[in-house]
Amino acid sequence: MFRKVKRRVDGRRNFDGDISKGFVDDLTRYPHRLSFYRMPPLEEITLEEFETWAIDRLKVLLEIESCQSRGKSFKEMSSIVLPILDKLLPLNPPSKESSSLYQERKKDHYSHFILRLAFCRSEELRSRFVKAETALFRIRYQLLSLQEQREFVDSIDLPWEEVSDEERDRFRDQLLRCSYGSIRSALMQTVEYQRTQHVTDEQISGYMDTVKFYRLPFEYVPELVSTRQTFLHKGYAYVGEFQRLSLIATEFSNFLVQQLQATMRALPTLDEDDRLVPVLNNLSKGYVSIDYNGYGGGEDSEGENSSGINAENISQFVSDMPLCMQRLMEGLQMNHHLRYGGRQELSLFLKGIGLNAEEALKFWQQQFTAAGPGSMTMEKFNKEYRYNFRHSYGLEGGHIRYKPWDCRTILSKPAPNKSEFHGCPYRDLRRGELSFQLQKLGLVDDTRLGEVLDLSEKGEYQTACTKVFELVNRDKIDSCLKQGLKVDESSIVHPNQYFDRSRYLDQHAEIERAGG
Amino acid sequence: MDSSTSEGVVESTSTVPPASAPAPAPAPAATPYKPSSADFANYYENFMPYKSIFLWLNHSQAPQEDFTKREFAFEYKSGAYQRYNSFSNVQEFKNTIVKAQPVRFEVGAVYPIEPKLRKSVSKNLMKPVMKEFVLDIDLTDYDDVRTCCSGTSICRKCWKFITLAIKIVDAALREDFGFEKLIWVFSGRRGVHCWVSDYRVRILDEPRRRAIVEYLDVLNVKSKGNKNGISLRKPYHPHVERSFEILRDEFVDIILREQDPWRLDDRYQDLAKCIPDYRLSSALLKHWKEDPGSSSASKWRDVDTFYQNMKVKSFDIQDWKREMIFKTMYPRLDVEVSRQMIHLLKSPFCIHPGTGNVCVPFDPSVKEFDPFTEAPSLSTLFNEDETNWENTSLKGSIELFNRYVDGLVKDEVKEKREREPVSEESW
Repeated sequence: MFRKVKRRVDGRRNFDGDISKGFVDDLTRYPHRLSFYRMPPLEEITLEEFETWAIDRLKVLLEIESCQSRGKSFKEMSSIVLPILDKLLPLNPPSKESSSLYQERKKDHYSHFILRLAFCRSEELRSRFVKAETALFRIRYQLLSLQEQREFVDSIDLPWEEVSDEERDRFRDQLLRCSYGSIRSALMQTVEYQRTQHVTDEQISGYMDTVKFYRLPFEYVPELVSTRQTFLHKGYAYVGEFQRLSLIATEFSNFLVQQLQATMRALPTLDEDDRLVPVLNNLSKGYVSIDYNGYGGGEDSEGENSSGINAENISQFVSDMPLCMQRLMEGLQMNHHLRYGGRQELSLFLKGIGLNAEEALKFWQQQFTAAGPGSMTMEKFNKEYRYNFRHSYGLEGGHIRYKPWDCRTILSKPAPNKSEFHGCPYRDLRRGELSFQLQKLGLVDDTRLGEVLDLSEKGEYQTACTKVFELVNRDKIDSCLKQGLKVDESSIVHPNQYFDRSRYLDQHAEIERAGG
Repeated sequence: MDSSTSEGVVESTSTVPPASAPAPAPAPAATPYKPSSADFANYYENFMPYKSIFLWLNHSQAPQEDFTKREFAFEYKSGAYQRYNSFSNVQEFKNTIVKAQPVRFEVGAVYPIEPKLRKSVSKNLMKPVMKEFVLDIDLTDYDDVRTCCSGTSICRKCWKFITLAIKIVDAALREDFGFEKLIWVFSGRRGVHCWVSDYRVRILDEPRRRAIVEYLDVLNVKSKGNKNGISLRKPYHPHVERSFEILRDEFVDIILREQDPWRLDDRYQDLAKCIPDYRLSSALLKHWKEDPGSSSASKWRDVDTFYQNMKVKSFDIQDWKREMIFKTMYPRLDVEVSRQMIHLLKSPFCIHPGTGNVCVPFDPSVKEFDPFTEAPSLSTLFNEDETNWENTSLKGSIELFNRYVDGLVKDEVKEKREREPVSEESW
């Protein structure tokens, strides 16, 4: 495919006139709307198509990834992605005129394969591509009519067999135990639920009797096995009809992983066009997760201190900081010292909120030498720590402008031990301790606090933090919304984002008070 | 690890071997025994059942890739560790080990080429293609609920954890996954290994190995967010339910009576930490501080009493109790050992260099394994007969292994004939 693309299009016979002569209505190539992308594209496309199709698909995948990292549910993600998908990468139902169907499916097909080339190059890119593509696959599967779903599932060669009535009776209890959760959430989508707001065990058990079960070797459904969502017996997994999407999605993602590895191995031997390399590189570079780069001053090491934050007044801003930073500030005040990880995490954060290098040094010096336990002499501070803080501001050593750490960086560092305060409290604190800290922030010991604790336990630290932000700032958010002001409610991915959002609310809620 | 400090204290103040440290139950070998080089030499020459191990790993009488491309690693007395050994037949296998005299050898995966030739090919080729599925259960992972022993020492009381673990895992592997070819092996000191040799599991890739071990790992050992609760979904999955049935009746005896893990000051916090309600756990902590030294059973009742009195609504006490039963007694698995194909594991019939015990295989369906009577040490064996294993207490173990391997090889030949004509998709 790619060797062909590089040849000039102008004046070539098959590009004169009708580009896709002979293929116009050839829907036999794409019998289903949904595709497993088993066959690579063989026809020629122009360089422009190559680039725009790939970018269109990339936009869709980026949106999906952004939803995933914000912890959106599958349903929320679908509703966010669908309009974009409709615009950039539509796949219309078969009732439409077939030539446009062909073009849609072709674009879908080619763009998928172009992105494979761009994202096969590293383990990280591969796994993110697979994750986003699999989500796209799931979203699209839901769009298919029942008839189409059935046809598509039949077209995939999987060794499933329907569970006999006799076996169903025999394993009724086990099947119910394993599908209870899935059926419950299915029933919660119904009109009946809207009215009654609860699902009874009888309803669940009744629903189960209407569902078909299939059994297949457990190797086909590793996700259902590892999460214990399927009944296993003698090497077979018993899968409900409602779990078939999970099954084919797993199959899809496994297949894609294999294919990407094969593509990577083949890449050096592909006779790539010079013109394609920069395109592919740009595509993979554009594939960065949502970064938070909005933080204000302080980025310029010696710059103006425009934020108005200095060594003296910084303690006034503690309540705007996320819990991780509040804990570091607290630890610093208590011990007049912070260990390395804590110093890094806090000093870069402070840089991000606008504390310039001069003020930062003043601040750290005051903290480290103030009277109290752990305090040190000025001499010691200058000898052992000054360099460290100047380094963070890019004033020493390699003069690198270090960025404030985002949540991902913080979470990737070793967890703190007993005398350390860095890290993410939602991950590192025990339930009781976290609950205590959150109550200090002003949360009340009720179910909402429980939800935050549960989220933390499930490992959804950023969602927990976002939730805390909402609970702490509830009144301010309401006031801003009332004024018709925009309030960013996406998930927190960066401590500085938390801070800036809190400052924004402070400022705007104040305006209201002044005006009203 | 919490245990490291206490373990250090025990060892520094005591000269008895760890295995007999603070055990009120009948202790194994009272005299410290460490096998000498001569002991190893004699064992490797006259006792080690090379042919059986060869057949077990080769799945056929004539040497084939399953054995010839299999990695073996040697650990030497000096601590040196030598990977990527491989042998073309039993004779070479035996000769090399007799000559090299490792303190133990480990069995790894089958590779696309003989591991000893790995330098002649590109690194990418040295990806494992096949391996038994293995599980490693070790009593050191139970130190937070063990009070009888810690670290490397064991006694009859804490061995009960291993016996329960075997019951639970064995049932799941056979009934749920349908594996038939599995053998349990004493690891020589404080744990057991399980080797599953069904063809279907030997060809599994790492994500699927992970799926199996995560299915078994109800405690979710790997997850960090799991310090306090495990929050099992209800209704319980059949495997969880079956495990609960096995564990339920043992809790009072093993945990509350024998181990009594929450009696002491430094331990009862562990129990408090497990309580998902801050108000309740603070109240209990306060109460226990004022009443030091109350038994675990009494504290267990306190949780109930306080829960009722304080009218706590934030969690269900019955669910919590069930989860505590899992938390204290459910098998603790080493996920990485099972998942990674390149991971090696000590071979059956090796000698544990610290205890001199033979790592004997056993069949829990016949009889619960007792490491204090059924794992002979080298000194015992040599007292029985210096050269002929048939006159020693190793006879039973070797014969048991041979019967198992016989069945394995026979069925493998049969299955191979069935799967060979059609090309099998490999995982």
